[in-house]
Amino acid sequence: MTRGAGPTPKISLRNVGKQFTVRPSKDQPEGSTLTALEGITLDVAAGEFITLVGPSGSGKTTLLDLLAGLTRPDAGQVLVDGKEVTGPGRDRAVVFQQYALFPWRTAAANVAFGLEGTGSDGRRLSRRERADKARHYLELVGLSGFEDRYPHELSGGMKQRVAIARSLAYEPDVLLMDEPFAALDAQTREQLQEELLRIWRSTGKTIIFITHGIDEAVYLGQRVAVLSSRPGRLKQIVDIDLGERSGDRDVRSDAVFIEHRHKVWSLLHDEVRKAQEAGHAKIRPDGSAPDEAPQLSKRQPSKGQLSKGRAA
Amino acid sequence: MTAPTLTKDLTAPATAATGRPPQPAATRRLPAVARSGARRAGRGIWASGAIVLFLLLWELGPTYLATASTRVFLPPLHEVLRALGSLIAKGQLQNHLAASLTRSASGFGIAVVFAVALGLLVAWYRSLDRFLNPLLEVFRNTAALALLPVFTLLLGIGETSKISIVAYAAFFPVLLNTIAGVRTVDPLLVRAARSLGLSNFRLFLKVILPSAVPTIFTGIRMAGTSSILVLIAAEMVGAKAGLGYLIVNAQSSFLIPDMYAGILTVSLLGLLVNYLLVAVERHFSRWRTAVGSQSN
Ligand SMILES: Nc1ncnc2c1ncn2[C@@H]1O[C@H](COP(=O)(O)OP(=O)(O)OP(=O)(O)O)[C@@H](O)[C@H]1O
Ligand SMILES: [Mg+2]
Repeated sequence: MTRGAGPTPKISLRNVGKQFTVRPSKDQPEGSTLTALEGITLDVAAGEFITLVGPSGSGKTTLLDLLAGLTRPDAGQVLVDGKEVTGPGRDRAVVFQQYALFPWRTAAANVAFGLEGTGSDGRRLSRRERADKARHYLELVGLSGFEDRYPHELSGGMKQRVAIARSLAYEPDVLLMDEPFAALDAQTREQLQEELLRIWRSTGKTIIFITHGIDEAVYLGQRVAVLSSRPGRLKQIVDIDLGERSGDRDVRSDAVFIEHRHKVWSLLHDEVRKAQEAGHAKIRPDGSAPDEAPQLSKRQPSKGQLSKGRAA
Repeated sequence: MTAPTLTKDLTAPATAATGRPPQPAATRRLPAVARSGARRAGRGIWASGAIVLFLLLWELGPTYLATASTRVFLPPLHEVLRALGSLIAKGQLQNHLAASLTRSASGFGIAVVFAVALGLLVAWYRSLDRFLNPLLEVFRNTAALALLPVFTLLLGIGETSKISIVAYAAFFPVLLNTIAGVRTVDPLLVRAARSLGLSNFRLFLKVILPSAVPTIFTGIRMAGTSSILVLIAAEMVGAKAGLGYLIVNAQSSFLIPDMYAGILTVSLLGLLVNYLLVAVERHFSRWRTAVGSQSN
């Protein structure tokens, strides 16, 4: 299932599990534990672009948080370059779905945000160097001339570009992206997908990209990892080979693309159905945690995206 | 930093008015700007109209409508202005004003420093909040003026008691807003900062504080208004200088125009302070103005 390309994979998940304690509710005064992820084993090679799809609530964001070092696993190990992840690090940067820009900072100051501490070499960049870097990365995402704009003066697509530039400016080896394009319109999304691929090719970063969109997953990823409905397990990894993507050819209408797309769709479709059924059942026969609707809607405001993503 | 922000401030209303609808026809823009300009001018006239009418009524009412005895207690505007002029000429007004300003500025300054510091601590340490919150609720809901006698008894009628009561009155708006400001930081921003490897301290400095600043300044503006209010009352009760003293003293010496001159000064001072604090507040929440109108 895994593709051990190099001697040590860039990222290695070993039997990773994560549980949450559910706060006491009316139905369950004691509270309970909820298994968000279970037995995830996955290797990602350096420079690989892997996409991750799964039904809502299958633990995709949880997995990303583990990789980012924002939370710790309850079971198994998360390794980056063979070393266990114990917290956020200079080698990884996250792009969040809702941009997460600092509204009191200009675009350039947002990009420079991650550069203000001491760098990996223990040196602190001067104000000038930071500004230069910010300008460079804004240019890379096609936003030259917007350095002094505040986030509220930018469109959604521009904001997401700034967020990407901020992550890139941090100069990580690994870029972790959580549904970064979900809130954008179709044209902007396609444009940014294109640019992300371009940036990936020119920088050689390892990218882990979460999405609700099957098209997006198949289009961007060299591999698509499909998570099962809760508890999130790795259901299958689909290798994607779309051949040469040169010229103006519309890869999305190729037969290979459609074939891959269908494969991912059917894998996901089963899981979405299961997730829905689980959502209606109060307590499952095997005694695992029942679906708690309030928690679901609290963490991710956009719930209707899976169906939207599939319709697109 | 200041130059670009200044121009931005000027253009901000225009972009907000014209740039928000996603498909504004170019032809629609111009009339919209003109219309909003005309509306603003009209609003200006309308708004100052009430003031002008009031001043007119003040000037003419006592002369033509009131009885002679009322006129003594409610002198027309020009007499008040003349009294004000002579108070300024004799340098009395400046003295009283300086006394009041010194007191309120010291009390206000002390309050802001301590309230912001305590607010940050309380918001950061949950257990401290749980411990202090009930007590703070009690104090907050005790009107500052109700405690005036206590302050006078304990600290006398000198400067200390006046500065203290001003500090007390100004303390709570700042404290509560500081706590609220820190609490309402977008958790997503905290996650983003953490993912970029910020330590607790730098997270506080670079994310929590800046995002709380507008709310803190709202509290500071509220505190500014209430510190003047409370000070005047305190000066009326026992003082030898200050605007509150000027008003009460003029009343008891039957210098009615002087009394009104004092009142007029108080309200102008209040206006000025509020205006300044609003400007400061707006300066610090520049980035927030348009956030509310965003789609997400
Ligand atoms: N802090 C938390 N406390 C309790 N439960 C949590 C917490 N975070 C996540 N969960 C639960 O873990 C499960 C997985 O959540 P996660 O956010 O990873 O899903 P997701 O796959 O990202 O979903 P979506 O596609 O909707 O974003 C959900 O059922 C959620 O309710
Ligand atoms: Mg998610």
